[in-house]
Amino acid sequence: MFFEDVVVGAHRELGAHTFRQEEIIAFARRYDPLPIHLDPEAAKASPYGGLVASGWLVTAIWMGLMVEDRLRSPSEGPAVSPGFQDLRWLKPVRPGTRLWFSTEVTGKTDWKTRPELGLVLSNNQARDDGGEIFLRFTGKVLLARREVP
Amino acid sequence: MLLHFEDFAPGQKLALDSRYRLTAEEIVDFARQYDPQPHHLDDEAAKRTVLGGLAASGWQVCAIARRLVIDGLLARTACAGGAEVEDCRWLKPVRPGDELRVEIEVIATSLPKSRADIGFVKWRWDLLNQRGRVAAILTTTMFERRS
Repeated sequence: MFFEDVVVGAHRELGAHTFRQEEIIAFARRYDPLPIHLDPEAAKASPYGGLVASGWLVTAIWMGLMVEDRLRSPSEGPAVSPGFQDLRWLKPVRPGTRLWFSTEVTGKTDWKTRPELGLVLSNNQARDDGGEIFLRFTGKVLLARREVP
Repeated sequence: MLLHFEDFAPGQKLALDSRYRLTAEEIVDFARQYDPQPHHLDDEAAKRTVLGGLAASGWQVCAIARRLVIDGLLARTACAGGAEVEDCRWLKPVRPGDELRVEIEVIATSLPKSRADIGFVKWRWDLLNQRGRVAAILTTTMFERRS
């Protein structure tokens, strides 16, 4: 898929993930070893009142579902990202929480340092079964242009 | 001694002592679980992409920065969590064998209207490799308890 093929407003539902206590703890042990992410007993005494997933586990799950979705569309190859913006973890994700992930193209712009590429902006979200937003951020992906302007 | 909100001030710079040495195996493990694209999974396939060789997923890079900040700073502070990353830039590929560290600059501190027990600290985390090159920059806001 080329930059020119991307349509602003295109929306994809990426699927759901139910967070398990073991994966929350395993991720925290390696990358985010705070008691609220690691230790169900210690987390009970915290303001969160129980174990919560590292926010970085939630974004990693979004990425995994995003890649699976891209692999289902043969025209879309791997993509490289220069970063993201305005990421908010709005509600704590607990063992047993099921989240539904989505992505929507919100804009397209030039990428001045490498004019053969274009920047695609997206609004990415995770919602629970009741539609409440737990995570949102603006994603950025660089795609090759068919024609360099 | 535990650091509190009052111990942070705009302009303050902190070079953390914590280090993270990343292996090819850990890059591939993370990618298999969370970001299975060829440039994070396989060195040969990665050579044919713009990254020019095996490189860590950006989300793993963020998680490593997080770990370095916990080990080098947050474990010594009255941290009450964080819920926002205003900006993240992945500037250079992070490769197998890279040894990473973090330098922090405090950008702003502020007090919420609704709560008296915490304050906000907005800071910039620069993730550097062993050659002193900045591989990623995160601008993020966390809550620290007041003393």
